[in-house]
Amino acid sequence: MARIGIMSFAHMHAYSYAACLDELVEAELIAIWDDNHSRGKKAAKQFNTAFVAELDKFLALDMQGVIVTSENVRHREMVEAAAAAGKWVLCEKPLAPTVADAKAVIAACRHAKVGLGTAFPVRYSIPMMAVRQMLKSGEYGEIYAASCTNNGQFPGGWFAKQALSGGGATMDHTVHAVDALRWMTGREITHVYSENGNLLRHGIDTDDVGSLHLEMEGGIQVSHVASWNRPKSFPTWGDVTFEIVCEKGVIRVDAFNQKISVYNDDAVRAEWAYWGGNPDLGLIQDFVAAVDERREPTVTGVDGLRAVEVTVAAYKSAAAGKMVRI
Amino acid sequence: MRVAIIGCGTMGHLHASMAASCGLRIIACGDKYKHSAKVLAEQYSAAASDDSMAVIADPEVDIVAICSPTPTHAGYAIAAAEAGKSIFCEKPFARTVQQCRDAMSAARKAKVKLFVAHVVRYFQEFEAMRAQLAAGKVGKPGFVKLYRGGLFPMGADGWFRDYEESGGVTLDSMIHDIDWLRYTFGDAERVFCQALRRSEPEAIDYSTATFRMKSGVIAKVIGTWAQPGGFRVETEICGDKGMIQFNSDETPIFTMKRTAPGETPSTIVPASPVPKSPYQLEWEEFIAWVRGTRQPRVTARDATEAVRMALAALESAETGKPVKL
Repeated sequence: MARIGIMSFAHMHAYSYAACLDELVEAELIAIWDDNHSRGKKAAKQFNTAFVAELDKFLALDMQGVIVTSENVRHREMVEAAAAAGKWVLCEKPLAPTVADAKAVIAACRHAKVGLGTAFPVRYSIPMMAVRQMLKSGEYGEIYAASCTNNGQFPGGWFAKQALSGGGATMDHTVHAVDALRWMTGREITHVYSENGNLLRHGIDTDDVGSLHLEMEGGIQVSHVASWNRPKSFPTWGDVTFEIVCEKGVIRVDAFNQKISVYNDDAVRAEWAYWGGNPDLGLIQDFVAAVDERREPTVTGVDGLRAVEVTVAAYKSAAAGKMVRI
Repeated sequence: MRVAIIGCGTMGHLHASMAASCGLRIIACGDKYKHSAKVLAEQYSAAASDDSMAVIADPEVDIVAICSPTPTHAGYAIAAAEAGKSIFCEKPFARTVQQCRDAMSAARKAKVKLFVAHVVRYFQEFEAMRAQLAAGKVGKPGFVKLYRGGLFPMGADGWFRDYEESGGVTLDSMIHDIDWLRYTFGDAERVFCQALRRSEPEAIDYSTATFRMKSGVIAKVIGTWAQPGGFRVETEICGDKGMIQFNSDETPIFTMKRTAPGETPSTIVPASPVPKSPYQLEWEEFIAWVRGTRQPRVTARDATEAVRMALAALESAETGKPVKL
């Protein structure tokens, strides 16, 4: 039985991870720590676990792993504290808003000899896994180009505050695509061009749209859209899509397009109720197994760093108005 | 009014039928391949010739419809202008911006009307999107995504496969969306583009461009000639209070023919019939202009700008740098 704690419920994914821990018989959510006490207490009540207000006491608990779901800029201090306490860490993406912080997080875990994982649940999406298999099988030949999207509704709150998030939609929604591309092709990203802006949501100090162009090893050309462009009235939270152009054909995947349409007169919008597999569950299951087996999680801190490098380069490119080499 | 069709491939056939359904007479067909000219000419009891310049010079001809490969457009347009004909030219207007300007100045000098067929401006779904935008349904637009494409087209001699000739998907197909983008969101500031332009082992082109508009709007335009089949258009316009989407996969009709056992099953064929084809609408607008003074919604200058933007995208794809417009 892996004993797991959650540090901060600032990121809404914490609720999904907690629910996954609940679902897994091999794991137990031991306690929650949150600098926002009322949020932490509420979550502890919701998931029927303990709330510990002091970080020292929380990290002194008998547990082997923690999930860090704080604001982006606080990942580093929390992972460092958890690692120093000998806990295995699963860190929400992006691993950090800067390359320096991402590297520090990796170094801290290496130094403490604890496993570090980055939360890229897209790797556990069944349709995405199927597409990766198709590409690996060689049936589609060489990969030439791709265009992907990670669109979402506006998350608001700290996500759109530069001082807490380190960046807007490009920061939030580039890393999943980058990680999935690396995972599916086995190639690294070498160059980035990006245009971004605050064009859709008012009163925020981050970008809410990014249009990226990536070049990968072997000359694979990639277009990506990272955005908070889905309106409140949109029937779901957003999407993760890829069109992959290969020598012998084209693969299109809309990872969450397993849905039923729901029309309810009490709601302000129609709703797409998702019925596919839960990628978060696979992610948490792997982390729990890693904790249990004292191994690195499958999606590592270095994977997180690679995605951070591309995101940071995207902001550099947008500011400089030219393509940036990674 | 009597029409000559120059270039008797797919678009020549289409425009002949549109001109005819507008009540015009097709009297001559020109194509460097006499056989192609004949096949089309027979349908309209028209004359066929492999000398397109002679067809253009024919005093019986009032309207010259240019449907030949892109690099030949300007030469035919200039000849038609000098012969005093009204000109209907398939997009892209020409292969270079200079050719566009030469054709425009020839038309101006000869005081003839020169129309470039940017048909997407006449598509009902694109008009519907403009109407919703104008009604403020998305609020202030900030992001646009336009996707178009399918099979790599053949064309006589496979001329589309010669990227020097056709400009690939970027100049030939993406130009539809580029024109509509400028029509709807104004001029662009700069463009960055990646374009595949492969010839081996097979012709595959896939082009993705980001246009930064002067208004600040970011537009991602994707053109594909990479699919083994089918054709799809997808659009998305996002604003500060809403979004508009269109997907051509959602059609009122799908058909699939039963085939004999052992035969390859037929593919699903979608259809979306409308009261009037957008191609006919553009012909009607062109004819109204030829007969009167009402300017069509797309001008030769617009078409020149679209060529300029598409060529800038190709320049960016070549250099790996954004190109200022």
